Amino acid sequence: MSEHDKIRELLALAAADALTSAEERQVAEHVRSCIACSNELEAWRPIASELRRLPTPQPSPWLVQATLARAGAKLTEQAERDWNRHVMIVVVAFAWLLTIASWPVFHFVTGRFGSWLEPQFSHTQFGQTLLGRTWFSNTWISFTAFTALGWLAGGVAAVMLTIRQRGERRLA
Amino acid sequence: MVGATALSLEGLVAVDADVVRLRRGDLNALSELITRYQNRLYRYLLRLVRQPAEAEDLFQQTWLKVVEKIRSFDASRNFDAWLFTLARNLAIDHLRRIRPQSLDEPLADSWHSETVADRIPCKDDTPLDHALAAERRTEMSEAMAELPMMYREVLTLRFEDEMKIEEIAQVTAVPVSTAKSRLRRSLEQLRYALEARHPGGTWQ
Repeated sequence: MSEHDKIRELLALAAADALTSAEERQVAEHVRSCIACSNELEAWRPIASELRRLPTPQPSPWLVQATLARAGAKLTEQAERDWNRHVMIVVVAFAWLLTIASWPVFHFVTGRFGSWLEPQFSHTQFGQTLLGRTWFSNTWISFTAFTALGWLAGGVAAVMLTIRQRGERRLA
Repeated sequence: MVGATALSLEGLVAVDADVVRLRRGDLNALSELITRYQNRLYRYLLRLVRQPAEAEDLFQQTWLKVVEKIRSFDASRNFDAWLFTLARNLAIDHLRRIRPQSLDEPLADSWHSETVADRIPCKDDTPLDHALAAERRTEMSEAMAELPMMYREVLTLRFEDEMKIEEIAQVTAVPVSTAKSRLRRSLEQLRYALEARHPGGTWQ
């Protein structure tokens, strides 16, 4: 491809101001001595100029408000979900801390008054090897029952909160 | 010149601040961004799909997507390119779903719409100049609407949104060299379409 042909391919882009500075210099140099390319470049200019002046179509007046209402509702919903997630993390951490901290108290109470929690297989060899009593199995079964009650109460509260939030969102 | 640059930089900072605020879930930032981009984004979508109702629906879907994805957006990047890429992907999915042929075939309807402001004559123009200019704009709009989608897209991004080739490449997800050759081909196609309306003469 000759230099002339290469430059000719760049003329449309020159009118569109889409050339690198090196290409711009090449084109400017060439069109000074080539009348055909100079005329061709002049033919591109009104097209580029008219493209820049095309009227901007206007959207419906309600479009911004409608978009804001929909996108805003989604943003609020996302913020609510994030807030719930953070609260849930804090509550779960707190629940675990509380459960573990209150366990010695619970164990002391049930150890004295809750002998019904003692399992039938509590005299297993493994249990007896630990400090000579049914410490292991009694502890874990009681602990599981204790935490299960806590989780059940937490789960019911979370479901009730979700139902309430959905109801409020529907009303809004 | 200095004032224009300062104003431009000020605008850039304002956009960035709104994006940062939107990432924190600020509803006012969302409102400001939608208002700021309403004309540009709507025009771009209309150039792609050519139907005002579809463009308006896609406009809303784009902002829903923005809200959904804003946390994954790197605030140091170009928000314009990111926004237009989201809009483009939605428009292409829509076109593939609704009119599979419309990605590369022209549509009879013109998307050209003249605003009230366009009808106000310029003080320096005579009524004849104004009528000729309006005719040229109509011809240009109609010729552009006849082009395949990828050519309409690159023309609107370059001449109406005034994006640089690098930004166009980013939005359309192609190398810079491809974006450049696509722009050249789109201009050539447009010129053929305009000159075909004036057999034996050139479009001026």
